[in-house]
Amino acid sequence: MSDIQMDCALDLMRRLPPQKIEKHLSDLIDLVPSLCEDLLSSVDQPLKIIRDKQVGKDFLLCDYNRDGDSYRSPWSNTYFPPLDDGAVPTEKLRKLEIDANMAFDQYREMYFEGGVSSVYLWDLDQGFAGVILIKKVGDGSKKVRGTWDSIHVVEVQEKNTGRNAHYKLTSTVMLWLQTNKAVSGSMSLAGSLTRQTEMDSPVSDSSPHIANIGRMVEDMENKMRNTLNEVYFGKTCDIMNGLRSVVPLNADDENKEALRQDLTAALQKRHTKFDAKDSTNPTSN
Amino acid sequence: MAMEGEELISDQDKIKIVSDFILHSPPGEFNEVFNDVRGLVNNDALLKEGTCWAFALYNKEQTLPIKLENSEYPVLITQFNDLGSSRFYDPRSKQSFKFDHLRKEPSNYENWEPDSETETWRSVFETEFTSYTSLHYKHGTCSVFAKQEGSSTVITACIEDHEFQAKNFWNGRWRSQWTLTVGPTNIDVFGFLRIHVHYYENGNVQLVASKEIKESIALTTEELAVKEVLKIAEDAENEYQIAITENYQTMSETTFKALRRQLPVTRTKIDWNKIVSYSIAKEFKTQ
Repeated sequence: MSDIQMDCALDLMRRLPPQKIEKHLSDLIDLVPSLCEDLLSSVDQPLKIIRDKQVGKDFLLCDYNRDGDSYRSPWSNTYFPPLDDGAVPTEKLRKLEIDANMAFDQYREMYFEGGVSSVYLWDLDQGFAGVILIKKVGDGSKKVRGTWDSIHVVEVQEKNTGRNAHYKLTSTVMLWLQTNKAVSGSMSLAGSLTRQTEMDSPVSDSSPHIANIGRMVEDMENKMRNTLNEVYFGKTCDIMNGLRSVVPLNADDENKEALRQDLTAALQKRHTKFDAKDSTNPTSN
Repeated sequence: MAMEGEELISDQDKIKIVSDFILHSPPGEFNEVFNDVRGLVNNDALLKEGTCWAFALYNKEQTLPIKLENSEYPVLITQFNDLGSSRFYDPRSKQSFKFDHLRKEPSNYENWEPDSETETWRSVFETEFTSYTSLHYKHGTCSVFAKQEGSSTVITACIEDHEFQAKNFWNGRWRSQWTLTVGPTNIDVFGFLRIHVHYYENGNVQLVASKEIKESIALTTEELAVKEVLKIAEDAENEYQIAITENYQTMSETTFKALRRQLPVTRTKIDWNKIVSYSIAKEFKTQ
């Protein structure tokens, strides 16, 4: 029964509006408490930021660095709020975790030019696994608020006494965009896409795990950025414009383009008026 | 959040949660959401009894178009033509019917007589809004309802268009609602436009957008006033649709670009070996 319930729960989370994902997930857990652990580890939620007060640096929260109600910082390896016996990685893995955090902090700066990143690692039977998290909140220019959340989970299986490894990457990017203007009302475009990929690679001093994982994450995120661009701003916009037509459907083909241009120009004039109104009244935003 | 081993919630709380899920079903996905909820609750009797109000509310909120016997043109299921006891009326074909909100089937047809006081205004707006709908909506449906409120006649024109392509993992619905309060000297115009698009191939992306419009015009002759109302509706809907399309452009060209670059400033991908050795060097320095 529980498997069927889990399938239903996951299907439901793929359908309900992402705009309210946190409420829907918490309701779902209240409804079927036995699925709590499975749901928390398989449904991605918007990443939250807290401050590591020991080193004065922000880090990201997820199910992988949670122990009870506390979260482990990748910078100081301590729990916030403090936890005496919180789980920590083995010394060897922690060393790798420190390097990974430094490497992905630079990756974040080069691609996101801001934001927060955190990497958490844990041991597997034959290898290890990790999660690479990145969050960037936009500056709200042009009255649009935007947030990007990356969640990359990687499983590393070591082979041939560690000279080769199999990498399995599951990446989710959540993208949230919202605007509220007089002319366009309230508009929210939100959600997530998930992709998977696998790769075998030699492991050596010149090709360490972090570099192998780094290349994989970089390629994946670059590809997903293109897909997000197509799906968010191409696909859903086309669907909207397929429901209603600005130009009357009975207009001749040659008239259609002229009409569309006339309408856009006429409305542009009104926009300028609206924008002026918006800027003198910041509370309307 | 309840943790494992904690006491189960009451049936009443279950119903509350499940009803909320049902009411949030994306357009065209009621059956899928209902089946999920059924699998989760595993108690059909409780589900049916407790959530039938939510099916009805969902259908009315979505303004579901329904094909009727003896009528070419479908009618929308809305709060404005709800007669109670699961009966609705279609002012166009002048019949009422029982509606099964779960199967989405009409039955038990009866004649329905319009209110003579409001019918003149209603029928003229019905003609105009129907023709407007056919000009701007490829698969649109329009229903116009009327009621008397004191000395005012209140006309509500509902327009709905949807496209469901589950095969291609997307569904979308546009809803417009125009409420016209015809008083002795003025017509108050209130518009409510809503768009909901769901794209779910290896993900879950949704557009949820809405806008309200308020205007008022002087009531001159019936003919002029009706024309003016339709012009307001057409202009407002066009302006809204263009503004949303422009927001898409801004979001893609400004907001999205500022969130994450396509490539680093160097215009080349990262040299990971350099980054890793640099990290280790930096680590030594700080230690």
